[in-house]
Amino acid sequence: MSDEPKLTLIGKLFLLLILGACAAGAFWAFNRHSAAAPGTASGAGVASSSASAIPGPSEAVPSGGNASQATSPSGVGSIEIGVAYGTEKKRWLEWAAEEFPKTAAGRGIQVNLIPLGSIEAAQAITGGDKRIDAWTPAADLYTDTFVREFELKHGRTPISQQEQLALTPMVFVSWGERTQSFMVRYKEMTFKTVGEALKASGGWGGIAQKPDWGFYKFAHTHPSQSNSGLMALLLMAYDFHDKTRGLTMADILDPKFQGWMVDIESSVVEFPNSTGNLMKDMVLKGPSSFDCVLVYESVAIDYLKNAEGRWGTLQVTYPRKNLWSNNPYYVLATPWSDSRRQAAATALMKFLISEPAQKMALVHGFRPGNPAVPILFPESPFTTGQKFGLKVDLNGICESPKGEVIHNLLVGWNNNVRPH
Amino acid sequence: MTFAVQCLNDRTGKGEGRPAFYVMKALFTFQLRIAVFFCLFMVGTLRMAAQNRVELVFAYGSEKEEWINEATAAFNRLGAKTAEGRVIHVQGLPMGSGECMDRVANGSLKANLVSPASGIFIKLANAEVRTRTGKDLVGETENLVLSPVVIAVWKPMAEALGWGTKPVGWSEILSLSKNPDGWGSLQAPQWGQFKLGHTHPEFSNSGLISILAETYAGAGKTAGLSLGDVTRPEVEDFVRGIEGTIVHYGASTGFFGKKMFQQGPGYLSAAVLYENMIIEANSGKYSLPFPVVAIYPKEGTFWSDHPVGVVDAEWNSAEQRRAAKRYVQFLLAPEQQRRALAFGFRPGLVDIPLASPLDKAHGVDPSEPKTTLEVPKPEVIRAVGQLWQKAKKHSRVVLVMDTSGSMNSGGRIENARKGAAQMLRLMKDEDTFSLLAFNARINWALHSQQLAQGRATAEKTIASLWANGGTALYDAILAAHEDLQKSPDTGKISAVVVLTDGLDTNSKTSLEVLMKAIRFDSEQNNTRVFTIAYGEDANKAILQQIADATQAKSYSGTPENIESVFKDISTFF
Repeated sequence: MSDEPKLTLIGKLFLLLILGACAAGAFWAFNRHSAAAPGTASGAGVASSSASAIPGPSEAVPSGGNASQATSPSGVGSIEIGVAYGTEKKRWLEWAAEEFPKTAAGRGIQVNLIPLGSIEAAQAITGGDKRIDAWTPAADLYTDTFVREFELKHGRTPISQQEQLALTPMVFVSWGERTQSFMVRYKEMTFKTVGEALKASGGWGGIAQKPDWGFYKFAHTHPSQSNSGLMALLLMAYDFHDKTRGLTMADILDPKFQGWMVDIESSVVEFPNSTGNLMKDMVLKGPSSFDCVLVYESVAIDYLKNAEGRWGTLQVTYPRKNLWSNNPYYVLATPWSDSRRQAAATALMKFLISEPAQKMALVHGFRPGNPAVPILFPESPFTTGQKFGLKVDLNGICESPKGEVIHNLLVGWNNNVRPH
Repeated sequence: MTFAVQCLNDRTGKGEGRPAFYVMKALFTFQLRIAVFFCLFMVGTLRMAAQNRVELVFAYGSEKEEWINEATAAFNRLGAKTAEGRVIHVQGLPMGSGECMDRVANGSLKANLVSPASGIFIKLANAEVRTRTGKDLVGETENLVLSPVVIAVWKPMAEALGWGTKPVGWSEILSLSKNPDGWGSLQAPQWGQFKLGHTHPEFSNSGLISILAETYAGAGKTAGLSLGDVTRPEVEDFVRGIEGTIVHYGASTGFFGKKMFQQGPGYLSAAVLYENMIIEANSGKYSLPFPVVAIYPKEGTFWSDHPVGVVDAEWNSAEQRRAAKRYVQFLLAPEQQRRALAFGFRPGLVDIPLASPLDKAHGVDPSEPKTTLEVPKPEVIRAVGQLWQKAKKHSRVVLVMDTSGSMNSGGRIENARKGAAQMLRLMKDEDTFSLLAFNARINWALHSQQLAQGRATAEKTIASLWANGGTALYDAILAAHEDLQKSPDTGKISAVVVLTDGLDTNSKTSLEVLMKAIRFDSEQNNTRVFTIAYGEDANKAILQQIADATQAKSYSGTPENIESVFKDISTFF
C-alpha cells in the first residue's frame, strides 16, 4: 500500500482549490436570490411593477416635508400595523404602503392593508380584530354608531386621532355611446330616468332601437356592506323629496318613496360589496356587465383611461343631489393596541396628508384634504378629464342625515329589496 | 487536471517507470474522498435550502396551464422572500375547476391558493364549507385573467347560422337541432346533422356554464334565475333540445378543443370553449380545414374570470398566506399580464389594453360579449344540475373487460373491478350497461341492463369477475361494437370501454378487419371505443390507434390509478 503513488501537497492543494471553488459556487447559487431582491420580499420584478410610474420616496417625501417631520415611532424597531380600508382607495393606499416605509418617519413600519367594507370594518374592530390599528372608511356615516357600540362593549372611546384624507362625490358612470343614446331618450340622467330605463320594455331595443345591447343594466354596491351603496340610497331619498337638508324619518317611511325606491332597486343587476371592484368589473367586462354604475368620482377617474383601452370611452354624470365622502382616517386606541402601534399609525396618517401623498391622491382621482394642494392645473385629472364630463364645482350637495334616518333607510332596503 | 497529474510523485523514490495505473489509482482515491465530501456538502446545502423555503401549493383550472407554468417558473427563479426571510416556492397543480374546489373543500388537497376558471366554483365551495364551519373557504379574490365562454363554430357553419349578419345564440342552435334535415335546413345538407360538444357540468367549468346558459336562454332571462324557472316545462324542453345534439361529454375543455381542431367538422360542428382557445386554434397550432370563430350567444354568456384567492384553512400558515399574496401580486404585474394576453386571455390588470391576438383575425371580437348572465344562487345552480340529469343525452356503454390469466398478477383484477364499479356508480339510472368479459373466449356477462332497475345486478356481476385463460381482444371489441351498431340510437351516446393488460393472442379477427369495422363515420358508425392499456404488457400503440379511429380517448392504467381512469371515462357519458 505504501508503494502506491500519492498526490503531492501541490496536487492536493490544487484539487482542494477546485473543491473550494465548487463550494463557493454552490453558496453563491443558494444566496443569489436574496441579492436579486434587495430590501423587499417581493423581489425586484414585483416591486418595480407598480412603482415605476410614480414618484419614488425621495420625491414623495422631500427632506423636511410634513411626513418626515411626523412623530417617528423611534426606538420601535420593526413593526407591522394593519389598516382597514375601503377598496375605493386601494390604488392610492397600495402606493402609500410601499412608499411610506422608505421615508424617515416610516422606516421599519410595515403597513398591512386590510380591505373591508365600512360596516364590516366597524364590526370587526368592535368584535376585537387585533389586526387593525387604523381605519379609513370612505365616509364618516357609520362613525357615530361605531363609537357608540365600541364604548358600550369596551368602555372606552376607540379613536385617538383622526384626519380627513380626501373628498369625493358620487357620479353615474356609463359607456359613451350608450350615454348619448340614453340622453336622446331621457334628456337627463337621474335616479328617475335610470329607473325608467331599467323597466323599459325590450331593454335597449325599447330605449334606443338597439336590441343587441340587451337589457339596461345598472348597479351600485350593497348598502349594508359598502358605503357607496348607502350613499346611493340616501341620494335617492334626497332626489325623490327634492331637498338637500333635513331628511327626516317621515321622508324615509313615506310609502311613495319606499315603493319608488324598491321598484328601482329590484331591477339592479348586482350589489357588489366593494366600489373599487364594481368599477373594475365594469372596465374588465364591459357593457355586457353594466351600462351604468353609481360610484365615487375618485374611483371613476382612476379607471377612465383603462376603459379606453378596453371597451371605449366612459362618461361621467353628476346626480342632481350629491354627498361628499370625506375619507376619514382613524388612529385606533383599542385595549389591545399600544403606544408603539398608535405612534406608527399616526405616522402613516401624517404621511397620507403630506403634500406629496396628497398629490398622489389627486392622481388617483381624490380631491385633496390638504388645502395646500391645488386641484386645477394642466395635468390634473380634473382638467384632462373634462372631456369625460368631470367638473370641480358641484351644486346640490346634501347634508349627512342623522343616524336613525340612515338606520331606517337600511332596514327598509333589507326588508323590501331582494338580498344578494 | 493535467497539471495535477504532473504533480504526482512516487514516495518510494522510484518515480520514473512506475505504471500509470498507480498514478490513476492515487488520483481516483483522493478524488473519491473529495466527491464524498462534496456530496455531503451539497446534501447539507439542499437541506438548508429546504428549511429556508416556504412551499405554496397552487391548485388552478387547467385552462390557463401554459401561462401559469411559464409565470410560476419565472416567479420561482426570482427567489422572492417572505418577511421571515424564507424563499417562496410555488408548485402549480393544474386540474378541472370542479375537482380543484371539491378537493380543497373536503381537505384532500391542502392547497394554499386556488384559482378555478370561474367564480361560480368559489361560490359553491364557500356555500358548502360555510354550512360546516361557519366561514368561507376562500375570501377576497382577484381576477387573474378573463375569457368569455363562447360557442366555437367552424366559420362556414357559423355563417350559415347568420353569424356576421345578425346576433346568433342558443335559439338558432335549438332550431337546427330540432330540424330533422339538420344542416340541410340551412341549405348545407353536405354537413349532415348538427353536432355539439360541451364538457360534463359536474366536473368542468365550461360544462356547468353551458347548462346554466342554456337554462337562462330557455327561461328568457339574463338575471334572477329562480327555482321556479328551472322547473318550467318549456325550459326543460329547451335544454333537452340542445343536449340532444351532444356528441359526448368529457372532463376537459382542452380535450374538446384539441379534438375539434384536429378532427375537423366531421367530429364536431361546434363546442362550448373559452375564447382564448379560439385564438390559439387560429394562431397556427393546428392544421385547420376552415377558420374557427367565436359565437357570443345573444342570450348572454358568462365570463370565465379566473378568480384567485387564498384558502382560509388551518393548514395555511400566516406566512404562507402572505407569500400567496406576493405570488398573486406577481401574476397581476404588467409583465405577466402581457404574457397572458399573448396566450389569448384578456388581462385581469385593467392597465393593459386589449390588443392582438384579441382581434377578428383570430376569430374573436373584443367588443363582445354584449350580454352576460348573473351567477345564480347555489340552490338554483344545484337545481339546474338536476334538470340536466333529466334532460341530458344518456348513454349505452359496453364494458369489455380482460379476464385473461395475466390479470391475476399484482392485484390487477381486484383493482380493475373496483375501477369498473366506480364508473358504474357515476353512470345515471337512465343509462344502459353491458359487460363483456373475455379471455380466449368472449362472454356476455350482462347485456343492455337499464341501471334504474339493474344497478345492483351490474355491481354484483362486476364483483364476480375472475381471471383465467388467453386474450381474444380484437374479437371482444368487434363483438361489443357490432352489438351497439346493430341497433343504433342517435338519442344516446354509444360507447365501448375496453380494459386489457396484454396482447391479443386468440382472436379470429385481425387488427385490420377490426379497424375497418370500427372506424368513425359521423353519420352511421358513431360508436366510440375508449381503451385502457392496463399495466406495462398492454400494447399502448394499438390501443391508442383503436381509440383514435373512433375519435375517443386512450388511457394508461395501473392498479393504483385505475379508479381515477374509470372516473375520467365516465365524464364522457
